[in-house]
Amino acid sequence: MSKYIDLSIEKIHDLLKRKEITPTTLVLECFERIEKSDLNAFITLDKEGALKRARELEAKEVPDDLLFGIPIAIKDNIMVDGLKCTCASKMLDNFTAIYDAGCIDLIKSHDMIILGKTNMDEFAMGSTSETSFYGAPLNPWNRKKVTGGSSGGSASAVSAGLVPLALGSDTGGSVRQPSSFTGIVGMKPTYGRVSRYGLVAFASSLDQIGPMTRNVYENALLLNCISKIDKRDLTSFDTNEDFTRKIGESLQNFKVAIPNYFVSDIIDDEIREKVLNIKTILENNHVQVDFVDIKHIDKAVTLYQIIAMGEASSNLARFDGVRYGYSYPNPTSLDDLYMKTRRFGFGNEVKRRIMVGSYLLSGENAKIYYNKALQIRDDLQKSFKKVFDKYNLIIGPTTARCAYDLGVKGDDPIKSFMDDILVMHANMGGFPSLSMPIGFNKEHLPIGLQIIGNLCDEATIYQLASFIEKEIKDDFSEVRDD
Amino acid sequence: MTNYKKTIGIEVHCELKTKEKIFSPSQSIYGSMANTCTNIIDLGYPGSLPLLNNEVLRFAIKACKVLNLHITRDMHFDRKNYFYPDNPKNFQITQNETPIGRDGYVIINDDGEEKKIEILEMHIEEDTCKSVHSAKNSLLDFNRAGVPLIEIVTKPCIHSAKEATLYLEKLRELLLYAGVSDCKIEEGSMRCEPNVSISKTDKLGTKIEVKNIGSISHVGEAITYEAKRQEEILERGETLHEETRRFDDKSHTTILMRVKETGNDYRYFPEPDIPYVHLTEEFITDSLKDLPRMPDERRKDYQKGGILPINMEKIIANKEISDYLERFLDINLVVASNLLLGDISSYLNKKDIKLSDTKLTDSKFRDLVNKLDKKEISNKNFKDILVDIMETDKSIDELIKENGFNNLDDSVVDDIIAKVLDSNPDFVHQYKSGNERVLKALMGLVMKESKGKVNPSLANDKLKEKLDA
Repeated sequence: MSKYIDLSIEKIHDLLKRKEITPTTLVLECFERIEKSDLNAFITLDKEGALKRARELEAKEVPDDLLFGIPIAIKDNIMVDGLKCTCASKMLDNFTAIYDAGCIDLIKSHDMIILGKTNMDEFAMGSTSETSFYGAPLNPWNRKKVTGGSSGGSASAVSAGLVPLALGSDTGGSVRQPSSFTGIVGMKPTYGRVSRYGLVAFASSLDQIGPMTRNVYENALLLNCISKIDKRDLTSFDTNEDFTRKIGESLQNFKVAIPNYFVSDIIDDEIREKVLNIKTILENNHVQVDFVDIKHIDKAVTLYQIIAMGEASSNLARFDGVRYGYSYPNPTSLDDLYMKTRRFGFGNEVKRRIMVGSYLLSGENAKIYYNKALQIRDDLQKSFKKVFDKYNLIIGPTTARCAYDLGVKGDDPIKSFMDDILVMHANMGGFPSLSMPIGFNKEHLPIGLQIIGNLCDEATIYQLASFIEKEIKDDFSEVRDD
Repeated sequence: MTNYKKTIGIEVHCELKTKEKIFSPSQSIYGSMANTCTNIIDLGYPGSLPLLNNEVLRFAIKACKVLNLHITRDMHFDRKNYFYPDNPKNFQITQNETPIGRDGYVIINDDGEEKKIEILEMHIEEDTCKSVHSAKNSLLDFNRAGVPLIEIVTKPCIHSAKEATLYLEKLRELLLYAGVSDCKIEEGSMRCEPNVSISKTDKLGTKIEVKNIGSISHVGEAITYEAKRQEEILERGETLHEETRRFDDKSHTTILMRVKETGNDYRYFPEPDIPYVHLTEEFITDSLKDLPRMPDERRKDYQKGGILPINMEKIIANKEISDYLERFLDINLVVASNLLLGDISSYLNKKDIKLSDTKLTDSKFRDLVNKLDKKEISNKNFKDILVDIMETDKSIDELIKENGFNNLDDSVVDDIIAKVLDSNPDFVHQYKSGNERVLKALMGLVMKESKGKVNPSLANDKLKEKLDA
């Protein structure tokens, strides 16, 4: 079997240019793997549409666009016209998108080929992808382990080489944590960098779509493609830069901060060791690395729970059985329609978060919790910005633990959030943050390094990430070899 | 016998007549076929996000100005969360914490006495969709969903049904003239919800809200009925509970809709999808630059121009005429307004067209009024050429010439006058005895004799000359 799809995007592009392969070759290769795969990475596949598109592209001259003809998978909370958009929920099991999300417009204008929609936690709520109505996707490194979440399907698919690129969404770590668990590169861009138009909202002030890829360069390439101001999202901002431009630049006078909290005893020893190893590598290359204290850094989970659940309780109110999606049949009254539709349409984790969120916004609670959380969130952003006054970047682990067994989380609502204690700050402050693989633990499960940058400074993150990537000798592509 | 004091506050919702909806580019057209003015935003479709129509801010700023409200420079929108089928997202985007306008007032004129009705606040929000209920099912029309509204809330400072109706008439007039709303209660573009309480002391009584009122006079009726109903209950020794009632226009009574439960919990929080808005001075000034003059200012000019109060109100009630008159404040307003309210209005009504649909140019109108004023053309002659004035490009002078008005030789005029005087010795005698009023009668005879073709001003002068000689 051919393995063109495992080649770098530059090499694939070269082959396309020289007409040694066609987009159809790539699509067929991906589907061959997907159809053989047991990973449950996809909810919806569009083989027919993808092949049709591939054939259309063959009529075109191959342009100087590295992404031309490259297959991609899309998380199932992003609208792709004509494809189902289920959010991994029974509520939207029968729901077909009637428009393209902002980032999908861009993906299509670059002539990339959408293969299908990937599995995820229901409405992106969870950190293992186990809350999916369609069952959890599996971690290709060990099928007994979780992929992480909520973008677990995208992580699983890219990691296993079913598709070279994918999109995820990150509200409190949902791109970076599964990327870390599956040994791929995942970026949550600056809030507003990628249009949220067509992303089913979880927590509007935190949600951000991000690229999930096999390596750093391709990640920056994909971000180039999907970031553009979109008048349909008032929080999107003007962006016109090449995120690959600093890759390969020297790290002279570079300063990196490691928050003490990120290497405290809440972190697994093996992970801490790998991160400290990165510190050594950087220092050997004349990068100054300091430990720093950051005010409010331990408050992120609490803030996240209040803000994300408050917003979610309101965002998910529209799923009521009146206009679209699941609707409880033969209700006895309007209230019965509302209650039964939501009782049977939503899973437990979603219902729990809606309940908590509704409570947090009720009566005086809004002032006590939500408004207060917004204040502390501002303070937290300021304290991170202060670090960026002195340091180019902040680094640390992406997660406190590596991927763990499926099912262990069960229904424990508190444990779910502990996975994301290191990644939520970036969402709170709107900062860009990337996770990249830097090694394995004893169980041969990938370990992720997190790099957080100042607002709009993705290019510097990619610069450092690319440098580290070259220094790491481990091979994260072995699971692609099916 | 009654020594209860009524206290009334009023909430008014007005649809702003912007071209597009507040948070989506859908057209906002009343009366369109159901669900044709909608898109994914209005339908609360997953993944859709609100936009913010700047025209809404401009209209709201104008409304603030005419209602003397302080404009909130830094404001944001909030979500009001509640489930109802007419509320597509199950939250409404409104302004809870930072209403665009605060602490305003309007002045009403209650039989010559000026009173200030204080406005607590005015905020911007989106309208819900329209539900149509039948025995079998309920239908939803999303055309109205997302139409911009302003909600204007008075302080509890109104104490009679009359004050309430005067306030509403004034409010309607101001918003109409500001050009921000049609204020058509029958089409639902203005909705008035008074709350009424009565008390014998300074402490306010139990507040009862009345909804679904279809006209301003019905608001007055509802308040009067409600105060009486409450008084009867209290006099029976019973207590009142906060509740919402609706006005029934068949029985002219109010009917219970629902008892207010304690603390309606709308779980308000700032709308995260719309960045906070800062209204700059430039934006505010720019929004106000095309604000026309308000009715009270216009009334002053009308009064100065000698227009009778009854006609003054007729003009104000017809904004098209009042706006038209704004361009002619330097000519004889009595003649101009009589023309507009009289012959021109009847012509327009008969044809069912607007002034702007006719060929009556500004210069033609100005010329016509001046000629009538100086009696260079008689009223009768004017009536003869009205249709030509409205429907042709010919100037007044051309029409006068064409119809042979005012083109008699002086000698002919002299002959006519002589003839009239000869055949009416009684009038001549009366005039000489000091009854100058017969001059009018004689003029009429001269005009009749000349078949209207004599220049009335000239004839008048000549007639007087002859009589005084």
